[in-house]
Amino acid sequence: MFEPNARRSTACDAAAHRLSLRMPALLKPLALSLSLGLVSAQAVAADKIKTYDSIASSRAVESLLVDVSAAGGNLVAVGERGHVLISRDKGQSWKQVVVPTRQLLTSLFFVDEKNGWAVGHDAVILATTDGGATWVKQFEEPEREAPLLDIWFRDSQVGYAVGAYGALLTTSNGGKTWQDVSDRLDNEDGYHLNAIGEVKGSGLLAVGELGNMFRSLDYGMTWEIVESPYEGSLFGVLSGSAVGEAVVYGLRGHIFYTADFGTTWTEVQAKNEDGVIEYGLSDGARLADGSLLIVGHGGTVLRSRDGGKSFSVFNRPDRISLAGVAPAADGQLVLVGQGGVHMTDGTGASLED
Amino acid sequence: MSKHYNEGASFLERLVFNNRPAVILLCVVISAFLFFQAANVKPQTSFEKMIPLQHSFIQNMLEHRNDLANLGNSIRISVEAKDGDIFTKEYMETLRLINDEVFYIGGVDRSGLKSLWSPSVRWTEVTEEGFAGGEVIPQTYDGSAESLDELRNNVLKSGQIGRLVANNFKSSIIDVPLLESYPNPENQGELLNLDYQKFSHEIEEKVRDKFQAQNPNVKVHVIGFAKKVGDLIDGIMQVVMFFGLAFGITLVMLYFFTHCIRSTLAVLLTTTIAVVWQLGLLHTFGFGLDPYSILVPFLVFAIGISHGVQKINGIALEAGKAENALVAARLTFRQLFMPGLIALLSDAVGFVTLLLIDIGVIRELAIGASMGVAVIILTNLILLPVTISYIGVSQKSVKRSREQANKESRMWRTISNFAHPVVAPISVTVALVAVVGGLWYGQNLKIGDLDPGAPELHPDSRYNLDNDFIISNYSTSSDVLVVMVKTGPEGCSTYDTQYAIDQLMWKLDNTEGVQSTISLVTVAKQVIKGMNEGNLKWESLSRNQDILNNAISRGTELYNGDCSLAPVLVFLNDHKADTLIRAVDAVEEFSAEYSTEDRQFLLAAGNAGIEAATNEVIDASEETMLMAVYAAVSFMCLLTFRSIAATLCVILPLVLTSILGNALMAYLGIGVKVATLPVIALGVGIGVDYGIYIYSRLETFLRKGLTLQDAYYETLRSTGKAVLFTGLCLAIAVATWIFSAIKFQADMGLMLTFMFLWNMVGAIWLLPALARFLIKPEKLRQS
Repeated sequence: MFEPNARRSTACDAAAHRLSLRMPALLKPLALSLSLGLVSAQAVAADKIKTYDSIASSRAVESLLVDVSAAGGNLVAVGERGHVLISRDKGQSWKQVVVPTRQLLTSLFFVDEKNGWAVGHDAVILATTDGGATWVKQFEEPEREAPLLDIWFRDSQVGYAVGAYGALLTTSNGGKTWQDVSDRLDNEDGYHLNAIGEVKGSGLLAVGELGNMFRSLDYGMTWEIVESPYEGSLFGVLSGSAVGEAVVYGLRGHIFYTADFGTTWTEVQAKNEDGVIEYGLSDGARLADGSLLIVGHGGTVLRSRDGGKSFSVFNRPDRISLAGVAPAADGQLVLVGQGGVHMTDGTGASLED
Repeated sequence: MSKHYNEGASFLERLVFNNRPAVILLCVVISAFLFFQAANVKPQTSFEKMIPLQHSFIQNMLEHRNDLANLGNSIRISVEAKDGDIFTKEYMETLRLINDEVFYIGGVDRSGLKSLWSPSVRWTEVTEEGFAGGEVIPQTYDGSAESLDELRNNVLKSGQIGRLVANNFKSSIIDVPLLESYPNPENQGELLNLDYQKFSHEIEEKVRDKFQAQNPNVKVHVIGFAKKVGDLIDGIMQVVMFFGLAFGITLVMLYFFTHCIRSTLAVLLTTTIAVVWQLGLLHTFGFGLDPYSILVPFLVFAIGISHGVQKINGIALEAGKAENALVAARLTFRQLFMPGLIALLSDAVGFVTLLLIDIGVIRELAIGASMGVAVIILTNLILLPVTISYIGVSQKSVKRSREQANKESRMWRTISNFAHPVVAPISVTVALVAVVGGLWYGQNLKIGDLDPGAPELHPDSRYNLDNDFIISNYSTSSDVLVVMVKTGPEGCSTYDTQYAIDQLMWKLDNTEGVQSTISLVTVAKQVIKGMNEGNLKWESLSRNQDILNNAISRGTELYNGDCSLAPVLVFLNDHKADTLIRAVDAVEEFSAEYSTEDRQFLLAAGNAGIEAATNEVIDASEETMLMAVYAAVSFMCLLTFRSIAATLCVILPLVLTSILGNALMAYLGIGVKVATLPVIALGVGIGVDYGIYIYSRLETFLRKGLTLQDAYYETLRSTGKAVLFTGLCLAIAVATWIFSAIKFQADMGLMLTFMFLWNMVGAIWLLPALARFLIKPEKLRQS
């Protein structure tokens, strides 16, 4: 038995409320009615769902990749068709790792140089204990018809995954078992949770659709709603250098800064010569020197050297959509997104240009 | 009448020569009728005739033709800014004027016309409110620097880069869908069929010429099926000019050969009659002239001339002995009718083997050529001698041929050394080396078309240069293989089907030679991403049926009405046979793994699909056809000479030519294709004539007791000149084709010229050498 999402009795009200706002709202009630009405049919369909290993391809490195992360000295990137790529030379060359899924992998997290997890569509959770060289499938729930979108681990045992329709999963045994704890959040309408992250010395912050934000002072057991400064979707959380300092970012170039773990927010405007940027921001990373990087659509690469209070802007001439960033060697960056891996200088400009 | 010449005359000879006025009258009546018919022959290019209709790919394509209709017949006009980029006031103004001009050209599907100026070309972006968007060229556009800046930003947001706008921003495209039939602007009730030639000319005049003159900073490039067909039809018209050229050259050569205006004109007249009859019959039986069958009049002309020359040669020789022209004509008829008939029947048999190839144009070529050869039997073997019997040959030429008949010829004496016992083994060794070398090099011979762009036209034709421009500046290729994914009704939208399509696309994306793939899955993923605020993490198929249904509702051109057929468009780097085979193999391998009862992956549509099918048919028929044509001509030789040795003497030089022909094709990068396959049959079928003429003479002289070399010398003296002349006639008629604007005609012309000339060389050089080994003159003398 399953529930595709946490949206229950109020779903229709919420849908009606949001219908005028956004396209996805149109679909969610449909998804709900279908999943409630056709449970038996779906159970049959679920039997037929086969899972395959990903296909090794020399073109994986230029396929759609949506997250990249450092794992000790290695770099690991994930993306469409179950593509997992590993670089042992700071991004100069990439080797594909075959993993037990062909679904789009959406996010990646390494808790240390060996132990890492990746999540994706079909609510798949993959895990590695050797720095990304081999992966096993810990969890999968295709019947959910929804992806997991981000994952975070406190240590090698305790972790959380968030996803579409308000999904919150947790494990306390390194992923051997996963438990759906979506109801720890006050998210009755089941808004998507796009990202989860730790804010230094404070706790966990999860952000999602329509500016929804939740924080947990006890690292995941209990959650409270954060009053949001924004009604558009937020896609990421980055912790600053000081305790309680963080930025969240999302649609149309919106960035908000907090110094008190989300109690108060200040909008940060990233400007280029044409004015405030309006590209959606997807993902970010914190470098060893404490500077923050955020990437997004329109080839946008933002950098903050003051813990998120201000950002400089670079827009790549190719204007591709970017979905992930990680530091490579010598101040270089590795960006991922449309067209796969892009090696760049510190600003985000391609090295070959 | 000279009754005594009826003695020893065949029934046919008596029938013809005792009723000469009737023969002439009959021919005049037939000519009048067929001339009228011939005048109505139209150039036509039928798509279906150029493809192997029985091949499973084509069957699949035709079965689902209506479901694929949306893939459409369109042309693309790319307007290039020579200096700077497209974001200038002048460029945008020219683009707008061209857009408006094209809108009014007959046959254009106005609702689908797409350029930067179309309201349907929009930019979108995701905002808190949902999708925001607008026309790429805003209502407020006024050509100012600010509005050009806005335009540039909109273009970047529109996702049209690589599609409507070149990757380097130096050109943009007007996409012009066409209607096969459209309402007559003058009379809305009437439907007009799209006239490709007219349309193509209108694009040239009203768009290319006009706007390049108006704005010297723009260059117009046009590609698309309609433009290509228009260029092809223009190419056919050009062939008429070649006919005139061949006619003129032949006239001059004939005069030098006969030194007699009367017989020159008689041969040209009867041969022209043969061509008219052939064209008339073509129209009477409901055929038109396509770019392939237009070769037939040339062949008929050349074959007619060569047989006419044999006749004139004979008559001039006989005229010296005979009391009048009639007697000379009768004696020549008696002597040459049978060898002529056999040679022509061999030609016809050679052509008929082309029927084995399941491609309409080749079959029509075979039928047309066979009809033409039958016509020549009447015109040049019967009508010509009758005509000459009235007009006679000039005394000058009679005297000349009599002198030549008795004079020692140093040239022929030298050439007769090919039959010499020392020279012959050398010749045979050289031929063997050539065979081995030819076979070795001929392994490089490829099936199919090898040049990029439209294979029908030259690589440096304007069409192909335009094509190069567009494929190098935009992210699309012109070689498209279409896989048809067939399901039950509403099946194309299911997750399982779309998942399978997605897997197929990735398999193909990873196949060497595949540039990219597009299907409804491409659209579905983009729409799902779009509905999720453009988040790349959602660019994936959903297992939720409602989401999938909604997602594909924006890609209606990528599935049919009841969602039972979804094409997967596979863009290839080129259409080389290896590329096609790799793509086809990948699909077949995938199909074997993923097909179920209600989900099949059918090959193939698209130009690359058709080429793949054609290549398979060509590959399969090549050997069969070669064996059939050799079996047929060997049989004709056996029937004529009743000797295996004689047959070998005639056939082996042809084999050498075929092998060297293959090597030459490999060297020149010409593939075995619809156009070059008939060349093999035509080359062998017509090439055998030389051998038959030479060997039949040689045998006559051997029977008289001459040694091989003397017999060969006498053969050459009597018929060598005619053989040489025949070879040149045939070669000249087809050599003019080398200059054709249509690439495959040029290839055919080149290969036929080679085959005709080399077959002649083979007959003169190798036949006597082989005879030295194979023929025992003593045996012939005894019998």
